[in-house]
Amino acid sequence: MTTSTLSSPGREALRLRSLDHVVVLGANGTMGYGSAALFTNAVPQVTFLARSKDKADEGLAAAVKQVRSESLALRADTGSYDDLASALQTADLVFEAVAEDMDLKKQIFDQVEDQMRPDAIVATVSSGLSINELAAGRSDAFQRNFCGLHFFNPPNVIVGTELIASAQTDPEVLDFLEAFCRIRLGRDMVRTSDTPAFAGNRVGFKVLNECAQMAEELGPMLVDAIVGPYTGRALTPLATIDLVGWDVHQAIVDNVHALTNDEAHDTLELPGYMRELIANGTLGNKTGGGFFSRDGDTQTVLDPARGTYVPQDSIELPDMSYVDEVANLYSQARYREGMAVLLTAKGPEAAIARKVMAGYISYSFERVGEVCANISDIDRIMGSGFNWAPPSVLVDFLGAPAAAEMMHEAGITVPDAIANADANTRFFDNPNTNRGRFFVAG
Amino acid sequence: MSTPEVFVLGGYQTDFGRNWTKERKHFSALMRESVVGAMETVDIAAEDIQSAHVGNFAAELYCMQGHLGAFFTEVDPEFSGLPTSRHEAACASGSIALLAASAEIEAGRYDMQAVVGIEQMKTVDSALGGSYLGTAAWYEKEAEGIDFPFPKLFGRLGDEYDARYGLQDEHLAEISRLNYDNAKLNPNAQTRTWYMNRDHALSRGDDNAQVGGRIRLADCSQVTDGAVCVFLASRRYAQEYAAKRGISINDIPRIKGWGHNTARLRFEDKVAESKDAEYVLPHVRSTVTSAMERAGMSGVEDIDGIETHDCFTTSEYMAIDHFGITAPGESWKAVEEGWLEIDGKTPINPSGGLIGAGHPVGATGVRQLLDATKQVTGQAGDYQVAGAKNFQTLNIGGSGTTSCSFIVGV
Repeated sequence: MTTSTLSSPGREALRLRSLDHVVVLGANGTMGYGSAALFTNAVPQVTFLARSKDKADEGLAAAVKQVRSESLALRADTGSYDDLASALQTADLVFEAVAEDMDLKKQIFDQVEDQMRPDAIVATVSSGLSINELAAGRSDAFQRNFCGLHFFNPPNVIVGTELIASAQTDPEVLDFLEAFCRIRLGRDMVRTSDTPAFAGNRVGFKVLNECAQMAEELGPMLVDAIVGPYTGRALTPLATIDLVGWDVHQAIVDNVHALTNDEAHDTLELPGYMRELIANGTLGNKTGGGFFSRDGDTQTVLDPARGTYVPQDSIELPDMSYVDEVANLYSQARYREGMAVLLTAKGPEAAIARKVMAGYISYSFERVGEVCANISDIDRIMGSGFNWAPPSVLVDFLGAPAAAEMMHEAGITVPDAIANADANTRFFDNPNTNRGRFFVAG
Repeated sequence: MSTPEVFVLGGYQTDFGRNWTKERKHFSALMRESVVGAMETVDIAAEDIQSAHVGNFAAELYCMQGHLGAFFTEVDPEFSGLPTSRHEAACASGSIALLAASAEIEAGRYDMQAVVGIEQMKTVDSALGGSYLGTAAWYEKEAEGIDFPFPKLFGRLGDEYDARYGLQDEHLAEISRLNYDNAKLNPNAQTRTWYMNRDHALSRGDDNAQVGGRIRLADCSQVTDGAVCVFLASRRYAQEYAAKRGISINDIPRIKGWGHNTARLRFEDKVAESKDAEYVLPHVRSTVTSAMERAGMSGVEDIDGIETHDCFTTSEYMAIDHFGITAPGESWKAVEEGWLEIDGKTPINPSGGLIGAGHPVGATGVRQLLDATKQVTGQAGDYQVAGAKNFQTLNIGGSGTTSCSFIVGV
């Protein structure tokens, strides 16, 4: 306990700069208008720019609808890229959210670099392109003030946000943006390395893709039942892929698979049935179905081998009564006891659940030093970016020796930090995050 | 002989943004997370807790569950057999539990007590919930058959100020704006990620609709699930606690003063009584000043910050002059001068208050005491008031009916 009561370092960092005018590029796309809406909450003037003023107006209308406040329009103006030069005269932050394409982004940064104020911050919402490559060859002023600021979709719901520096980014720019986004925009800020898919998507899509691979043999219904809410997530994995879109899933895992070669390389290979179906236009919820769909009033599910849908009612799932037992314990906030039931549950389904969890924990801990400086940062982005139980929370509720045993059983590397810990070691160190919130009871 | 001291060792609050019905969790889970969280945070062993008090307003209605003191024994096998009890005074239930627990420590009955404030409210829709809250008024006379009775009652508080002194809605909107701004600093605040700023608070359209007289959506506190557990201790226990951890007992905050008054139930009876008085709610004023007197303080200039009961912006507007920050009727001055901001002369609700942090009814009084404790021990993070040594709370049940106040300081 301490009696020193200074004002907070975060509030001090806000004094470094001010954001009175933000210009959003690509403000008609989902991430563009969603991010612009976020900024209007705390910035007096936000300029929505798109290929045409009409497109930008559509973005503004979508932003108003998203935050359910007509007052947003009082802080916004719109225009096309012809208006870029005049908008940049007063911009304190230029936020780029055009399509996820290296050449396109480089083109627009050419224009920004020519016309921006030398002290303006430039940030990209890119979810995986190299920040260093985007900055390469540009002026010192641009490079010092440039970084990645990765909001997750939809930004008004998901608060986890990644902040990615290039080799040249000014630390003061990072301190300021981190404080501003946390304190003024309600974001949970995590600093990551400039590695493929950064931290959240690297770990998250590894697990999602592993589940998509398993669906080929087990079927989507069983996979989502096995890796259900009781494993520490509100939304099941294949339903998540349907929500984010199969094309987005493909872009992320193909990119990570091509640019990395880690111990879980094989789990990052997009299943062949998905590649074929994507080519035929199956993109998940936005095209009316992915793993799960409906035919009139009938809920249907994909048969990955045939590429056809069958009624969900026709699928018979094996007995998984241990899941109810776990859920019942969670409903009383008995999370450790719930994990103990999962650890000793018999049958192939429980073994698969343990394998997926073990893989998630191991992969997260093995990425420390590569994608984030420490496990706490990976914990935070998995908690607030994916709404999954952070790996450290799972280890704490399992107990480190049991978590290690689970990895042995599944033939997965036991990270040193877990191998060297005992049953009383606590990994999760964020007192402001309730561990129980990640465990939905059934 | 002077009254024995009561120390506040610390505590834990659940994230007020959570919806425990969506998580499919039982009331007992909410209690369990707050108590287990407090034992871990404050480093208290189960066997050290000698008695437990639970503050709750209406679990019988929201959760079909009474006998809440007994639920404390479900948290840990060690608690079987503990003396426990439950306390109710509408939105002041949490403070009443604190008063009972601290009185038992003063009486020398126990050295160490757990106090839990708890409410699970998202079990029902807003209309039914609004009707349940109506039981904090004289239901038959003030709430029965009325949609959302409480916004209307606190709208009338604004009307009363308007009639006596004049009141501008822009000042109420500023109070809303400040609470939402501060909530963004608080990682446990319900609204920390919501869209809310001065323009929205001032907007008069459907997005910020009227819900009761001059009260609009942005003027209201929230429907919240939440629980808070704190540990109160005698000097004897606090001394042992400090010695074991190598800290000075002088760094452990104490409850330096308290106030408690109950006015007549009906709003119209209260304002009729105060017709010729300086203060619109004189019993609230008396609660605030009696806490100051017991703490040996001459007035609000001795207080470094306040956690007050802003169930609506009008209740905070009322609190400003009742604390003595301005002369009666001049609360608007404090709003305009920025005195209430987190870096201002007398910060109010650095946590975001009931509007920003959330209002799980029976938990609010305990949450205020915990936030006061965090402030005077430098543990409030981004919502820390620099240099705070003494913080005061004000917790109100009904339409200004039951008032409780604590001063916590080091």
